[in-house]
Amino acid sequence: MKKLALSDDILMQIDKPARYIGNEFNSVIKNPADVDIRFAMCFPDVYEVGMSHLGIAILYDMLNRRDDTYCERVYSPWPDLHKIMKDRNIPLFALESQDAIKDFDFIGMTLQYEMCYTNILQILDLAGLSFLSKDRKDGDPIVIVGGPCATNPEPIADFVDIVYVGEGETSYNSLLDLYKECKAKGLDRMAFLRKACQIPGIYVPAFYEAKYNEDGTIKSFGPIYEDVPAKIVRQVVINMDESPYPTKMLIPFVRAIQDRVVLEIQRGCIRGCRFCQAGMIYRPNREKSVEVLKNQAKELLASTGHEEISLSSLSSSDYHALGELMDFLINDCLSEGVNVSLPSLRIDAFSLDVMSKVQDVRKSSITFAPEAGSQRMRDVINKGLTVEDIIGGAHMAFEGGWNKVKLYFMLGLPTETDEDMQEIPRLANEIAKEYYATVPKDQRQGKCQITISTSFFVPKPFTPFQWAPMYEAGEYLRRAKVVNDEMKAQLNAKSLKYNWHHSDVTVLEGVFARGDRRLAPAILDAYLSGCYFDAWGDFFDFDKWLAAFEKNNISIDFYAYRQRDLDEIFPWDFIDCHVTKDFLKREWNNAMAGSVTKNCKMACNACGCLDLNTGVCHAR
Amino acid sequence: MRVRIRFEKLGVMRYVGHLDLMRFFQKAVKRSGLPIKYSEGFNPHQIMSFASPLGVGLTSEGEYMDIDIKEDVNSKEAIKALNDNMVEGLDIKTFKYLPDNAEKAMTAVTAASYIVTYKNPKDDICYIDNLLDLKQKFFDEAYAINIIKKTKKGERELDLKPLIYRFDLSFKDNVPVYDFLLSSGSSDNIKPELVVKAFHEYLGLPEFDDLSLDIKRIDMFTGESDAFISLGDIGDDH
Repeated sequence: MKKLALSDDILMQIDKPARYIGNEFNSVIKNPADVDIRFAMCFPDVYEVGMSHLGIAILYDMLNRRDDTYCERVYSPWPDLHKIMKDRNIPLFALESQDAIKDFDFIGMTLQYEMCYTNILQILDLAGLSFLSKDRKDGDPIVIVGGPCATNPEPIADFVDIVYVGEGETSYNSLLDLYKECKAKGLDRMAFLRKACQIPGIYVPAFYEAKYNEDGTIKSFGPIYEDVPAKIVRQVVINMDESPYPTKMLIPFVRAIQDRVVLEIQRGCIRGCRFCQAGMIYRPNREKSVEVLKNQAKELLASTGHEEISLSSLSSSDYHALGELMDFLINDCLSEGVNVSLPSLRIDAFSLDVMSKVQDVRKSSITFAPEAGSQRMRDVINKGLTVEDIIGGAHMAFEGGWNKVKLYFMLGLPTETDEDMQEIPRLANEIAKEYYATVPKDQRQGKCQITISTSFFVPKPFTPFQWAPMYEAGEYLRRAKVVNDEMKAQLNAKSLKYNWHHSDVTVLEGVFARGDRRLAPAILDAYLSGCYFDAWGDFFDFDKWLAAFEKNNISIDFYAYRQRDLDEIFPWDFIDCHVTKDFLKREWNNAMAGSVTKNCKMACNACGCLDLNTGVCHAR
Repeated sequence: MRVRIRFEKLGVMRYVGHLDLMRFFQKAVKRSGLPIKYSEGFNPHQIMSFASPLGVGLTSEGEYMDIDIKEDVNSKEAIKALNDNMVEGLDIKTFKYLPDNAEKAMTAVTAASYIVTYKNPKDDICYIDNLLDLKQKFFDEAYAINIIKKTKKGERELDLKPLIYRFDLSFKDNVPVYDFLLSSGSSDNIKPELVVKAFHEYLGLPEFDDLSLDIKRIDMFTGESDAFISLGDIGDDH
């Protein structure tokens, strides 16, 4: 029988023991004795979330294609098991071999959201490693992180040895080759890191130093050695068709959030919404060819046995051959008992036609993400969607038989007034009105349901809104109340429903998003006082965080609430995301002027990506 | 055409629950390329049903599922196609075409056999000398074994005796090993833990813990107590 790290009595007393046994179909089994490099790939959240992540699936497949490397998976043990592992001193293990990861060569973690930072510490803690990079010794694994939050890794800089900035497909092989070479030569940890930082996209925080002004802002930031690069260039896949993509995906026993084939159709987005970090850092927009996608879809459905396929991208409607791809999926896959699930498409005649083929119209809902209620506000955020688009789309949807509409908005956007907020329920009311005007009384299935959801805007690095102030938690709730009050005043209030998010976690997310190295001690103190799984409302304890901030003299005001000067040096300025700071400034000024910027297909706005000569830029 | 598949669920697979196992099989059958039938409607699903679910923590040599297929497939080839899509701990044993009048596995089960022992070789029961005699008195010589069974609706009194078709006791390295054949299915479903618990109470042992037992289901049966037939003995290979 396969070896297990946890004993039967433990497995029988915890929730969902199948999270911890490995043995999933399509998981890779190698003999550890046959490889030079053991890599623990970790998504620092619970199994069902981590197993759904496409980026890990790509890297797991890519690293295991190397004969000299065995890449295994690790997820955050749920608090029930966490407690047992701490009490009984059981070291954190990888799922495939069930071996302790403290003996591995690398522990790689993905930073998908800021609220996972304490879970990084949980992984290091349970593994039995020192929290701080400087305290880890030769023989300890190299801790490497990547993912979207790696575009400002400074808040966790002290905990990690390497930050991989950019898309993993490009530099991992050089990094592992170098590691193997250094290991064979018997070079120590520091010598390896010193060489590694020469590889494009590899950032070693220990080799950099920040100096601060009296007001707390950064005076200077740079390498402490001459041979260490001052700029880290974000890595970008140039040819998406030739980039490694798994032909098999793991089939978890415990149902994952994504229990389906996920097919990435393109990376990046042409739209340029000013709040959206993904829309900036994944530039330029790069599509896969439709032939490659057809083959990958077929291959993945066959190797997984999934009965559903979903397209993944930031804006699927912008994919050049969406019609052809959907026709293929509907004709070739639907007949085989495979459902096609659609990502949020722009609502138009085409997408409604496609949706009516693959969904049960009466049960499903139509989603719009206007992001802001007033046209003025939508122009500020550069969301190119008009009231006519929304009402027109809703009209078509109602004619097609739908009667449920979901609307997504943000509150707390720069320049937002009460009037802008009140426009949110008014827009929802207009949609409800359209329903009653479109569908004759005898054909209605009860009332229509218009659900409004708002989240609170968090300014992110490398976006035109990176200079914007946030608001205190109470102000966010006041804004939600403005929306709620106005909703109750609407004629069709009974057809409307409003959900909003908690605001404490928003503030914290804002602190980390634009934080710097001085936050690390507070994150560590928060973890030591019991904070982890902060992304899970049940476990989030704002008071513990406030205490940790206070103890370490961290001012939320400084990190979240203040308006930043246009010329301030930011903690993430040393990273070159291809999108230039000049472009972001231009876009900030355009936002303040309420002027709209054209998308990348219509015009080049000189964001800085043209030199990469790929994707939508190359097509120009 | 309805086919009955017998499989083993051993080793680490004991920690995978019934719903998760069903989802695993749906995908495995899809991968295997077997011509399984789908239901009609907007969300078509495979026509597949399982005999009595196995609890988390238990292993089994005799699990069954029935599937409907659209065309005839050679049994050996089907077993291979399925086994190519299994993981360690799951093994397909038989693939038999059922006669038209065969009852579904889910409703056909009337009895199940188990081998039950203790995980801890130093369990209190291992120190009782005359266990075989006591078992004789508890089971073989008893007219009735009345227990209180907890159900969803509350508690009810139940006589276990007529629902236990076999209760043999042997020892391996001094640890008791039970060989049970128990009533199973929708009406009188007797779990082996329930029988052992009653035995422990008869012996006057302190609080009984379900998790102290290592339980392996051996097979499932249909029919009446005088002529049980293994679910796996129904139907033919093609």
